[in-house]
Amino acid sequence: MGEAQIAKKTLLGMVPADSPFYRFHPVGRMALLIFLSVTPLFIDMPEVNLGLILVTLGLLWWGRVRMQQVRRYLPLLVTVAIFMFGVAFLAPGNRTALTPIRSVGATFYFEPMWWAFVSYCRLIAMLFGAILYFSTNRERDTLVALRSLGVPFAVSYVAALSLRSAGMFMEDFKTIREAQQARGLDLESLSVVEKAKLYTMYTVPLFAVALRRADEISNALFAKGYTLSGRPAGGGRRTDYLRAQYPVRARDWAVSVGLVGAFALVAALSKTTGVFSDHLSPLRAVVVGMVAAR
Amino acid sequence: MRLAVEVERFSWRCPFAQRDALREVSLAIPAGEFTLVVGPNEAGKTTLMLAIKGIIPHSLAGRHDGTVRVFGEPVAQKNAAVLARQVGYVFGDPDAQFTALTVEEEILFGLENVGVPTSEIGARIRRASELTMISDLLDKPPYDISGGEKQRVAIASVLAMDPEILILDEPTSMIDPLGKDLIVDICGSLKRDRRMTVIVVEHNVEAFAPLADRVVLVRDGRIEREGAPRTFFDDVESLIDCGVYPPQVTQVFARLQRRGLYAGPLPLTDEEGVAAGTRLLQGAGRWR
Ligand SMILES: Nc1ncnc2c1ncn2[C@@H]1O[C@H](COP(=O)(O)OP(=O)(O)O)[C@@H](O)[C@H]1O
Ligand SMILES: [Mg+2]
Repeated sequence: MGEAQIAKKTLLGMVPADSPFYRFHPVGRMALLIFLSVTPLFIDMPEVNLGLILVTLGLLWWGRVRMQQVRRYLPLLVTVAIFMFGVAFLAPGNRTALTPIRSVGATFYFEPMWWAFVSYCRLIAMLFGAILYFSTNRERDTLVALRSLGVPFAVSYVAALSLRSAGMFMEDFKTIREAQQARGLDLESLSVVEKAKLYTMYTVPLFAVALRRADEISNALFAKGYTLSGRPAGGGRRTDYLRAQYPVRARDWAVSVGLVGAFALVAALSKTTGVFSDHLSPLRAVVVGMVAAR
Repeated sequence: MRLAVEVERFSWRCPFAQRDALREVSLAIPAGEFTLVVGPNEAGKTTLMLAIKGIIPHSLAGRHDGTVRVFGEPVAQKNAAVLARQVGYVFGDPDAQFTALTVEEEILFGLENVGVPTSEIGARIRRASELTMISDLLDKPPYDISGGEKQRVAIASVLAMDPEILILDEPTSMIDPLGKDLIVDICGSLKRDRRMTVIVVEHNVEAFAPLADRVVLVRDGRIEREGAPRTFFDDVESLIDCGVYPPQVTQVFARLQRRGLYAGPLPLTDEEGVAAGTRLLQGAGRWR
């Protein structure tokens, strides 16, 4: 019961039951997503991206997202770090052109390590932007945002329907696997080849179920009076109750225009002046100084 | 008497099928009546319902013959939106009918489709969800609720559209006993308070017979028997042969009737059975 009051379930996770974000129109929240997770593409300087991550963490806290929920992504952050720095260490490229650093009994090369760091900061900043979005927006918010931006109903509906179908597909898959296990199938004892065979076997019932589902959904759509044109024949128009629930206020305009404007500004500055280049990074200067001093 | 549904010598065969799923079926249902459709599996009950809703021939390919009329007009000539407003359809598999990501969106989807003004939609959602006892589920995703709740959501999403005819195809066959009782209660209040034309396909005759004005037996793609429940169930043996089990108390009195021991109307509920039995015993006492 308590759980239900603190958080609501979405297909991808949970959102808080109440959050200051909900006072903003979904379009504004989508503008924030674009700003936080696309802007880093134009920023190399790690300090700026780290700053964006701090801002995002602050927004997560402000938005009453439970940190427990964010912590679920920690293993992902570590895995990506191991992978990126591992590649930089094991395959640094043309060693003669690089600056070696000898430390803890191994030889690193500065340039690939630095570049891994720069890319990692960028990637994590983008990831946190997406985490913030999916921790404070339900599928319906995304639908409303898309429809408000003029995406035709059929398109946004098909997107939602495929999300729904993906969920259903996973349920069907679970059911079939449970049925096979109930009949004594022990997955642990199978060899890799046998497992591969088994998974191809799954496709047969899954395919049959999927076909049936497609039929069922098309019947259900017809039963609810859905016509692909999105227009009830006989004159009228399809109404949009969801969108009507979210009035667009002046504040939402300001937020959306401001964020998209800020994004455009960063992109333009980055391309024309290079102020976000990693070569201007104070941190880099410090590290380069340390390397030179050895 | 205004007819809600008229089926006239309607036949249908799906592509690749060996035989017709419906064979020259004729049926007339007056507006405001509660009809219970019974029959063995594969008899053609679902096919008949799909034909009344217009999913056959609109959405399913196949060969058909004859006509189905809803309020005097052939369904083949009505479009999806018009049919959606006139005929509500609840499918047997609660999982099969959801197209939205939350219960509330599921309910409002149909309303938006037929162009109900947004100012009216909130009240309609409230009314339908109160009647079906799902008000506290509106925010949940439809895969996160029980089978019985899913079925009630499906009913709510159809009721919100205020259809004049409601079809329920085996609404309780895939849910738990407690959930079944709630569905029966909802059907009861639709009959009592709304005088809606309801057509229910069900194996659970015991629960639905007391609500029914008329019972229809479908077998082998034909309507084999049709009548008011108190007379429909008198041939218990042949019904049981078809896998149709009249209420226990009805079976007892039908057997007594056969032996010439009872002549009154067949009771459909335990209360009616007790009353009929009391009268019978009191009469018997006097004869002795
Ligand atoms: N999609 C389909 N394709 C082929 N045959 C079908 C299909 N749907 C139903 N049938 C056939 O139509 C007949 C009637 O089925 P149905 O109306 O579902 O029966 P009921 O609902 O009484 O169990 C059955 O013989 C069944 O095999
Ligand atoms: Mg059926």
